[in-house]
Amino acid sequence: MGIVLTRIDDRLIHGQILETWVPFLNVDCIVVANDQIAGNLMRRKLIHASVPKNIEVLFGSINELYKIICADEMRGRRILLLFSSSLDALKAFELGVSFSEINLGNLHGGPGGARVTCSVFLQQEDIENLTCLENSGVKISTQCVPTDRLKRWSELLGRQAK
Amino acid sequence: MIISHICTASIVSIVAGLDRTAAFQLMISRPIVVAPLTGWLLDTPLVGLEVGLLVELLWLCFLPVGASIPPDDTQVSIAATLLAGTGDYYIEAGSLSLVLVAVLSCCALGKIGQVFDGWARRFNGQFIIATQRAVAEGHLNHIGRNHLKGLLVFGFASWASFVVIGFCGALFLYLFFVVLKMGPPLEPVAGFLRILFPLVGAAAILANLKVRRSVTLYLASFVSTLMLFWFFK
Amino acid sequence: MTVVLLPKKIFIQTFFRSFLLQASWSFQGLQSLGFLFVLFPALEFFYEGEELKCVCARYLEKFNTHPYMASPIMGMCLALEEKQGKEAGISSQDLKEMTMFPYAAMGDSLFWGGLKPLAAVLSLFLAVKGSLWAPLVFLVLFNVPHLGCRLGWLWQGYRQGLDMIQIVQKWQLPDLAMRLKEATIVLLGSLSAFLVFHYLEMEKINPGLGVVFIPLLCVGVLLFKKGISSLTCVLLSAGFVFLLSLIWNWI
Repeated sequence: MGIVLTRIDDRLIHGQILETWVPFLNVDCIVVANDQIAGNLMRRKLIHASVPKNIEVLFGSINELYKIICADEMRGRRILLLFSSSLDALKAFELGVSFSEINLGNLHGGPGGARVTCSVFLQQEDIENLTCLENSGVKISTQCVPTDRLKRWSELLGRQAK
Repeated sequence: MIISHICTASIVSIVAGLDRTAAFQLMISRPIVVAPLTGWLLDTPLVGLEVGLLVELLWLCFLPVGASIPPDDTQVSIAATLLAGTGDYYIEAGSLSLVLVAVLSCCALGKIGQVFDGWARRFNGQFIIATQRAVAEGHLNHIGRNHLKGLLVFGFASWASFVVIGFCGALFLYLFFVVLKMGPPLEPVAGFLRILFPLVGAAAILANLKVRRSVTLYLASFVSTLMLFWFFK
Repeated sequence: MTVVLLPKKIFIQTFFRSFLLQASWSFQGLQSLGFLFVLFPALEFFYEGEELKCVCARYLEKFNTHPYMASPIMGMCLALEEKQGKEAGISSQDLKEMTMFPYAAMGDSLFWGGLKPLAAVLSLFLAVKGSLWAPLVFLVLFNVPHLGCRLGWLWQGYRQGLDMIQIVQKWQLPDLAMRLKEATIVLLGSLSAFLVFHYLEMEKINPGLGVVFIPLLCVGVLLFKKGISSLTCVLLSAGFVFLLSLIWNWI
């Protein structure tokens, strides 16, 4: 089955993911791709504790990600891949992790970001990174929870220009 | 309905409205608690209980998570209890039809609570900025003061949504029972509508609780309980 | 450096202040001002002058979690500030940032998704019967665990410091929440059957006919999964039933 959802969310695993996306897509494995968290045992433990036992959580730095996703034992699993920033997603894509769509969840960024939806604020470099991904054929959209309306990248750019 | 009734309900609306997000969160704000409480203060506890039963399950599955605000079932229950318990619409106060229509019309206005709540949460933004400035200048006693001002804002927002919901609900009740005289045709289906509310709420919870095989579990329990009652009545 | 212990009085004050955590909840600051407000008496005790000012400013950074699950975090912050963050090798800022989202997820599923519906469904059995004990039963069922957790976790977090993270882990809250949700669903089934039975008996219809409600309920669940709101559903079906009754009367 492979990756069923790729999401950029600066909160990583939280209520929206666990209460809505995981059951909606029948996810059985969440991969958190983040350099800091992969290197911090305490944070890994904390995130582990917030996920029910029947869902596996894997952590990996961006560089190891390809190895993790393409490992033999991951075949046939339904994976939710989480990044915390657009830069990480772009790097992973360039390192060969293939995904066809990206969902933007929560992106608050620093000050000065342009607000595109309630929960997505885009900095200039986010726009560049995401445009780069979109041009390589990855469909970018935003949808907080499955019941929300899906908004495509072109629509988001239009809002941002306003 | 007299002024003292409205005042009592207003006080309940502020206290319970604060319990919703701002303070304590002892769940006094749940319809099953706040409606009988209002009813008890207005001397019609059973009307309150009825309202609580109807509203409780309807929005239970909305999680007050982060930035998402659920419809204000607290103010809806208080307003519905006030209208159904003490109103006079040429129909016996507290009769089932009156309770049903009061709850229906107030529920339809539940969104108003979200609007006021959202306003309060935006308005409160200024307190954090003011506090940041005060702390930088060394006025640390402003922390508590600014923080507690939020209570006033939330309290006012609750009361305002109660007033709007109550007022619009009363207008609709007047239209329904006095102008259109819809009371009699409602009577035969009132019993059915009474269980419709909780059942719809139950279905909504079922669809939203993330449990495997939830529908199977639910139906098994439904059928076996029904059988039990049927055999042992 | 000697560690000065927190007086009981200030701990109790912190506990009571923790109920007002969200009094100034705003989209900009979330719970940050509230968190500072709760810890302020303790901070005032541990620090003074310029240092206190810096600590306060530090606490005004964005913070948001589940209001009940904030208690263990507050407890841990008390423990850290007591040692002035010097021994543990982790600042209270890092701690808050690390714990807030995982704890929010746990609290949402345990308290909002698990305990609240369970208590509500149990008390509704009494409400259907017309018993005024229903609200009291609900309050007791919900608040005994809730207040216990709040006080217990605040105290444990303060006493155990960072070991609290392990303690919360041992509770396996997400799995506990799952058990509560399963129990809620079974009880919800019973409650619905009880309601239907009660109604059919009042209308003097054979209660066995209650099974016709099953397909109706299934349709309802499907509609909700498609994202219809429960209010629309109630309004539409109530309107429809009322219209039928009107037409019936008219004929």
